[in-house]
Amino acid sequence: MTPAWKAPPFPPAPGLAPCADWYPCGFMRGPMCAATAQATMSPLIRWFHQLGSPPYFDRFAARWAPWAYLLGLATMAVGVYGALFQVPADYQQGDSFRILYIHVPSAWMSMAVFGLMAFYAAIALVWRIKLCEILAMACAPSGAAFTLITLATGSIWGKPMWGTWWDWDPRLTTELILLFLYLGVMGLYAAIDDRRNAARAAGLLAIVGVALLPVIRWSVVWWNSLHQGQTIRMFGESSMDASMMAPLWWMVVGTHLWFVGSLLARARADNLRREAGKDWVAKLSTGGAR
Amino acid sequence: MSYRDYVIAAYAVFAVVLLWDYLAPRLQVRAALRAARLRATRAAAARAEPTELQR
Repeated sequence: MTPAWKAPPFPPAPGLAPCADWYPCGFMRGPMCAATAQATMSPLIRWFHQLGSPPYFDRFAARWAPWAYLLGLATMAVGVYGALFQVPADYQQGDSFRILYIHVPSAWMSMAVFGLMAFYAAIALVWRIKLCEILAMACAPSGAAFTLITLATGSIWGKPMWGTWWDWDPRLTTELILLFLYLGVMGLYAAIDDRRNAARAAGLLAIVGVALLPVIRWSVVWWNSLHQGQTIRMFGESSMDASMMAPLWWMVVGTHLWFVGSLLARARADNLRREAGKDWVAKLSTGGAR
Repeated sequence: MSYRDYVIAAYAVFAVVLLWDYLAPRLQVRAALRAARLRATRAAAARAEPTELQR
């Protein structure tokens, strides 16, 4: 195996056999040298360790983010076409129910992304993995975007159906609090100069904020709500007709793929900002080695 | 019951927010790379400048 890096990132620990091959992310903790460890570990574990290297992650994100965006866009295009032109109008709500195809996937994403952000933040807090800090903080703007879509499209849907743009209904209010939590995480991360301390503080807020997710989910059950109850079930029978379901699943898959692209692109931007003084960033900025 | 305008407005919001979600990180990456390029240029200029002892 030919190592791509020769210069050791730190002096070898006493007692370790001298070795010319060094692993750039600082993976040198065991009784064997890093190159030996790299050669003996499983490909998946090796890839996971490699992903922790900022230059490797930059290449990975730059390569796969456009594909995720493209696949997400294509999938959502199929979903939107089905939602607007193939599915029949609802017998009660007419065409206004077509808003469901963007409202529901966005609402699911708004909660799923928050859960993922808290998951990354927990890993970052416990194991101090820098990439997880970056990924956690990259979740926030995308999650906030999906929450904003949920609130705005819900409001637009509510006007013809409920006769009002907004109501302090439990589901709407808790979703608004979720948006404030996202904004709080983003604001806290931006307010502290030291990136690692900022990510830890904002990550803690994300972890605490997870308590809101079941409240949003069950708000229509726990309280009397203007918002309708659960219509679509992953497991069990949905109260929506099967002929109306296909575009919804296209949109669900599309928004997930789109989010992957957004997460990689945002994480790449943050990674570049954090590594601003490093040689590999300078080379990349001048069109050098990728 | 058409509600066409409401449907158009909702899908327009969806498209605009996703467009922002696409453009914002691209602009951030571009800004980060431009800052790195300027930093590298400044560093190269500082290395090329003769020091007091060399003069």
